[in-house]
Amino acid sequence: MNTLNFILGASLQPGDFTGFTFFIGSVSMLAATVFFLVQHGQVDKKFKDSMLVAALITGIAAVHYYYMRDQWAEGLGSPTELRYVDWILTVPLMVVEFALLTGVGMRKLFWASVVMLVTGYFGESGVTGIGDAQVWGFVSGLAYFYMAYEVGCLSIFGLGNGGDVGNALANAKGKIPAAGRMLQWFVLVGWSIYPLGYMIGTADGMWYAGAAGLPLDMDIVYNIGDAINKIGFGMAVWSAARD
Amino acid sequence: MISTNQGLVTSKIVGLIFSLSLIFFNIGDTYSSIIFISIMLSIGIPHGSVDHIIAFVNPKSRRFSSKLSFFSIYIALIIFNIFIWVLSPFLGLFSFLLISCYHFGETQVIGYHSTDNQLLNFVIGANILLSLFLNNIFELQEILIEFKFFSDIDLSSYENIFFLLISVAVLMMSVLYFDIKRKVPLYAELSILYLIFYHTDILTSFSIFFGFSHSLPMLLMEYNELKEDSFLKFYLKTLPFTILSVVFGFILFYFNDSLLTTENLILFVFIVISSLTLPHVFIMKDFVNDK
Repeated sequence: MNTLNFILGASLQPGDFTGFTFFIGSVSMLAATVFFLVQHGQVDKKFKDSMLVAALITGIAAVHYYYMRDQWAEGLGSPTELRYVDWILTVPLMVVEFALLTGVGMRKLFWASVVMLVTGYFGESGVTGIGDAQVWGFVSGLAYFYMAYEVGCLSIFGLGNGGDVGNALANAKGKIPAAGRMLQWFVLVGWSIYPLGYMIGTADGMWYAGAAGLPLDMDIVYNIGDAINKIGFGMAVWSAARD
Repeated sequence: MISTNQGLVTSKIVGLIFSLSLIFFNIGDTYSSIIFISIMLSIGIPHGSVDHIIAFVNPKSRRFSSKLSFFSIYIALIIFNIFIWVLSPFLGLFSFLLISCYHFGETQVIGYHSTDNQLLNFVIGANILLSLFLNNIFELQEILIEFKFFSDIDLSSYENIFFLLISVAVLMMSVLYFDIKRKVPLYAELSILYLIFYHTDILTSFSIFFGFSHSLPMLLMEYNELKEDSFLKFYLKTLPFTILSVVFGFILFYFNDSLLTTENLILFVFIVISSLTLPHVFIMKDFVNDK
């Protein structure tokens, strides 16, 4: 085991479940990257960019999970900055998947994702000194709900197709509507894991102070959310592309 | 013989593997000078060392009547650039950045869009340099210590992630508002570059970008254009002017004291590179015209 550890700066302590989820996050993202790259050569030409983007998302995440695991194992606390570096690079790529499937909506989704991330980071880090976590979290949440609307999450409940992307997904041909529906579920359910993590991490003195009492750690919630969403997003695209 | 596309992809994958190795093995900035020198000598300078051949091979670039006129103009541009640096280091740096933006962007868009859109070339190159500088801005302030208007700015209250965010947002704007044939792959590749810029120091970041995203793809394209039997044979042709460039660098360094008044080695290297880059940019502009 020591031989394998030459590449890692610090070792996880026995019973460190949070650290273990960082490790699992890193290796599962790496495995998904290899899978998507292998599948890239097998799929139809029109899906190649989508598969490449899926591989990039998990690849970038694998690098950052490696760093985060290391920071955690060295006892330097929750790796908020690294996590946001990862999200700044990967979340825009995730919304790009919608644009690649439908050919519309890239501009709106890009900007909404930036607002969601920036305000989320401001709230969690407190770097601005203006407003508190609940104010920034509210703005971040609005951007998230806008994206959910734009990609057509309302159609899951039969409440219309939502924005341009939702319309385009509903009217697409072949396996794209089915893949789009999976992505909509990821945005609606998978992405909603993040506000939970945010509330647990910033609960002190806020109206949601009770969230701190949940038997969950913010990093565990985020790590599970990332693994589900990043790998799941790629798998949804792959399922549309494999035929 | 390899195709242009294969050359581009191969170069960038090699660069990516190299970068990830640096990140995973936690090399830090210990060996950044060695990495920089190795890449510059093996790929960086050689890719411009066949300009005197390229200028006459590509039919679209035959704007020189003879080798004499080519070398006269080429050397005159190098001297002109050094003259600007001596006259005003700020003007020298500024013009180098403007020219580099165009040149780097032009080669970066190959494979994603036609190089005809000169504004796009410039904007993409400007994005790359902006990200390189922003993600290493504290180091850059130390390098450009003589440019007080920049180095004296107090950025201590900002975190690195803030600058990454700015560079990504600017990139998004650029990619969104330009008509680019392969928009998403270009954005995706630049995202990886930004990741490397964020996690490595400025010299290593520049070496990786300059070596594997710019010089090596160009070197392979030049190899294709010259239709040599083997890559080794082609590479040997780059050696005379590579050696000459290194000698030129040493001569400039020797006479540096009274001319450029800089004790900053990295800034000095910038001056040498900019001097070699200026004439090279014009040759490459014609060369990539049909790529």
